[in-house]
Amino acid sequence: MSIIKINNLEKQFPVGDGFFTALSDINIEVKKGEFAGLIGPSGSGKTTLLNIIGSLDTPTKGTAEVMGKSIAELSYKQSAGLRNRHIGFIFQTYNLLPVYTVFENVEFSLLLQKMSAVERKKAVMQALEWVGLTDKVDSKPSMLSGGECQRVAIARAMVKRPEIVLADEPTANLDSENSHHILRTMKKLNKELGVTFVFSTHDEKVMQYLDRIIALEDGKVLRDETQEEFAVRKNSQIYKTK
Amino acid sequence: MIAIKLAYKNLVGAGLRTWLNVSVLSFAFVLMIFYNGMIEGWNRQARNDTQDWEIGEGQYWEQSYDRYDPYTFQDAHKPVSEDIAAMIDRGELTPILVRQANMYPEGRMQSVLLKGVDPNQKILKLPTSDLNNVQNGYSAIIGRRMADDAGLKVGDKVLVRWRDKNGMFDAIDINIAAIFKTDVPSVENGQMYLDINVLQEMIGLPNQATLLVAGDNSSLSEIDGWNFKTTDFLLKEFDALIQSKKAGGMVMSGMLLLIALLAIFDTQVLSIFRRQKEIGTYIALGMTRSQVVGIFTVEGGAHSILAAIVGAAYGIPLFLWLDNIGLSFGSSSQDMGIAVADIIYPYYSIGMILSSLLLVVISATIVSYLPARKISKMRPTDALKGKLQ
Repeated sequence: MSIIKINNLEKQFPVGDGFFTALSDINIEVKKGEFAGLIGPSGSGKTTLLNIIGSLDTPTKGTAEVMGKSIAELSYKQSAGLRNRHIGFIFQTYNLLPVYTVFENVEFSLLLQKMSAVERKKAVMQALEWVGLTDKVDSKPSMLSGGECQRVAIARAMVKRPEIVLADEPTANLDSENSHHILRTMKKLNKELGVTFVFSTHDEKVMQYLDRIIALEDGKVLRDETQEEFAVRKNSQIYKTK
Repeated sequence: MIAIKLAYKNLVGAGLRTWLNVSVLSFAFVLMIFYNGMIEGWNRQARNDTQDWEIGEGQYWEQSYDRYDPYTFQDAHKPVSEDIAAMIDRGELTPILVRQANMYPEGRMQSVLLKGVDPNQKILKLPTSDLNNVQNGYSAIIGRRMADDAGLKVGDKVLVRWRDKNGMFDAIDINIAAIFKTDVPSVENGQMYLDINVLQEMIGLPNQATLLVAGDNSSLSEIDGWNFKTTDFLLKEFDALIQSKKAGGMVMSGMLLLIALLAIFDTQVLSIFRRQKEIGTYIALGMTRSQVVGIFTVEGGAHSILAAIVGAAYGIPLFLWLDNIGLSFGSSSQDMGIAVADIIYPYYSIGMILSSLLLVVISATIVSYLPARKISKMRPTDALKGKLQ
């Protein structure tokens, strides 16, 4: 069952008197529970596509359906509701609220859902347990390492049990050890909770964890392959080079 | 609720910037209440003093009498009827006979208004009983400012010339029996108080009066041939002055408030500019734009609530202290020609405090909302990148 369905999508941005085409002719379907990644160099359109899937932006042409809802047709309130209940975001720079504690940062999305305090506490503690930060509940983001901040961001994205998590370059600001830790955590949550993960990355470390790799170049899908296909192609390229 | 909680967190998190804004705003708030309290205190004291010393609960004027037109004084007198006399006996009214005259202190000519009053009256605070303790019949009491201006002391004699009922000049030396002190200049400037019976005899108008001052227990009914003037009418000049003082105070408070609001506005603009990523995050987490605008508006408006708390912390003890000791306007205030007490005790009403609070809260919320509206035009993707708008 497709949780994300993109057909003939095109996205243009006004630049001066004309337009810059960031994405064109994009056709992708992502099934529930997939651990997929959009890879490609800077400017290839990864983040733009992720923003459209996250209903932070709308396509210029074509359709983008998330959980059966057309992003372009959602009202502002409906798209806010979609993000609040069904989509979790993880950002490269964590985007934690600096004046809030770890607990409050994770709790934030649940406050918008008007959940009771007892339920909120239970959900937040469970999310923090998933990422191994139950001992940091009262810490402020400024007191945490980069890896810990990103784990808080994962807990914040996961606490509301979303169907989809969109992670934009989640390991770009982390060292190797923290990157692997983060990725293992996300992979575990993907397996255990069946949450669909869509990454945007150009980090080689991330690619080895992905089940599906969609390569973008100049706003177009260059390749859409499984981890196995990706690995075979990579190996053959290495063989040819040798 | 979430907006209030977030606003509180962000305000506390902003530290010194918040407290600077709150301090300026609280100062504006306290000063606004202080100034209005002083004006109101002055207003109440002056109204009370003017009523106590001059106008009572209203006055009945002889029909041709106009206190603003000295030419009416000569003929503005009327016999006191039996009914009126009965009211005077019951302490409901006290008659005053007014006559224009000249006096010659130290050889200088000075206009003076002779006022005949009942030495035994209890309606006005004028120390008319001093007129009972005189050696000869031609004695008067005057106010301190009048005495200073004319260089007169108790026991001095001053030549006074007046016209009698037939327009004939007459003159006599009048003995200064007492000098009284009052905060109401209009009862003493250029005025001399004599026993009404003596003045009636001097002018040749026995049992006549120019006006009747009503006391607390008067029924204030219509009296045939006399025009009743209410306290509001008699105090309208003073009320106009108070209104102009209030307007002046509002301009001053408004300017101070404007500075405080400008600081909040500036902080909000800066805050929205610096916190674009945070705004983008709120939206990504599922907040609507109006909810984010709400957070920033409440945050700005919360400055005024904190300002009220801080203002109350130092304002309440300050106001209580001022209420206890009062505030002196100095001797120069006595020459303003209007009733000003030596010490003014401010008066703070709940209504005035609440309206000042409401003004500060509403204006702070409005200036917070104006820059926050910009958020609703922000693209969430640009906000997340922290792009300049």
